Amino acid sequence: MSDDDEARKHPRVHFDRHAPEYRDRFEEETRGFHEGCPLAWSDTYGGHWVAAGNRELLAFARAREKLSNDHDVHGERRGYQGINIPAPARGRGIRGGFLEMDPPEQRAYRDALNPYLSPAAIARWIPFIDEVAHACLDERIESGRIDFVDDLANIVPAVFTLAMMGIPLKKWELYNEPAHAGVYTPPHSPETARVVEAHRAMLKDIGATLHEVRANPRPGLADALARMEIDGRAPSDGDLVGALALLIGGGFDTTTALTAHALEWLSQHPAERDRLSRERATLLDPATEEFLRYFTPAPGDGRTVAEDCEIAGKEFREGDRLWLSWAMANRDPAVFPDPDRVDLARPGNRHTAFGLGIHRCIGSNVARTVFKRMLLHVLDRAPDFVCDPGGAVHYETIGVIQGMRHLPATFTPGPRLGPGLAETLETLQRICDEQGLAEPVTVRKAEAKIR
Amino acid sequence: MKVRVDPERCQGHTLCFMRAPEAFELSEIDGHSTPVADEVPEDQEAAVVEAVRSCPERAIGVF
Ligand code: SF4
Repeated sequence: MSDDDEARKHPRVHFDRHAPEYRDRFEEETRGFHEGCPLAWSDTYGGHWVAAGNRELLAFARAREKLSNDHDVHGERRGYQGINIPAPARGRGIRGGFLEMDPPEQRAYRDALNPYLSPAAIARWIPFIDEVAHACLDERIESGRIDFVDDLANIVPAVFTLAMMGIPLKKWELYNEPAHAGVYTPPHSPETARVVEAHRAMLKDIGATLHEVRANPRPGLADALARMEIDGRAPSDGDLVGALALLIGGGFDTTTALTAHALEWLSQHPAERDRLSRERATLLDPATEEFLRYFTPAPGDGRTVAEDCEIAGKEFREGDRLWLSWAMANRDPAVFPDPDRVDLARPGNRHTAFGLGIHRCIGSNVARTVFKRMLLHVLDRAPDFVCDPGGAVHYETIGVIQGMRHLPATFTPGPRLGPGLAETLETLQRICDEQGLAEPVTVRKAEAKIR
Repeated sequence: MKVRVDPERCQGHTLCFMRAPEAFELSEIDGHSTPVADEVPEDQEAAVVEAVRSCPERAIGVF
């Protein structure tokens, strides 16, 4: 490597977002980036750029033809390593769906899936989401005790994601374990073997689902992918399984993470919680955006520079790796005054929690809607909840998802409203099938009718 | 005041609609935004300015 090549890699920082200390030092390190080097080079993980400023991230979003998301798992193109830095050992050999593809291939997937995930498409599901949330709360409401992660925030996004995909709701546990534990279990953990096994079982079931919907079409995201063509040809089964696994990964762990953190914060700020509940008509939307900004469940994405170029005043070479930190940009004082404070009514909240540019989280409307419905039901049915700080378990590292494993809480017990979860899922499965709830919005406009 | 959404920049974040639901409409298919009318009614100007400030892609212009 020439001196000239080393010289362009500055300023230099040591950035290790997978280190357990990063979680505790996040605000301090983020301030360091914003004060001196919103775009810097770090030698960690084979060396990569780190973009932490809002202005820099926007510049990269707009220079999209110069950046690649490609994960070339079979060494058929330029050997790029996709959106994780470093590329993960788990799931090696599978592309992370359309998030690890470039246009026009990526565009074809988005076009196939958007009509299932647009704001109008998701709004049709609200009665369904409410029913699942109620059933979860019913299981705990008489006891006055709940684990907001295990008993609510894990379940509702999981069941809803499977419903949209066209996978039987009763399988949610088969998907739940790998979707969460696969993220928070470090490679050296004694649990790893079990998690890898669970992940394998999930991929197997995704593959089986594809075969099933091909043989017996039923509506949903799996069907949309099974039927899609790019330039007249069906994508490989490996790519389709990767895309479905991406929808699972995106649909499960992130919304859980957002919900748990928001509930924990609201428990610590009871006056704000009561205000949010009282003024929900005007405050729920901005508060949701503020929680997204402040907690940013998916903290960033990697890219590979696809040609020599200059972006945001820096010189890049083809093959350079780049980390786009949505989480750090969300604390950029140039855009967010007093960035480390939660302001439920924050104006001008142009946060990047769902990314920027053509890869904007395709599930953003799912995340917002599921989060809001869960939160409202908690505010209505357990308004005085108090989380137990001793029992709250945060992910050990926040390199992939800034999540929580457990969040136990107590509240004044209340009455059940309906049957428990198992019975509710049976009823909802029947309704899904009868009403074709998983059809795209282009086919079915009507809202789900539960009663 | 006139308003425009740059379709090349808009990625369907929907924040404009949250801030000014009467001034923008979202595509049923992909959530991308278009102004309801080029000319912003006076009583919606403040909401539209807030939408401009809230758009993550900086896709909305007023002039
Ligand atoms: S906020 Fe911006 S990106 Fe989002 S829909 Fe509106 S114009 Fe498009």
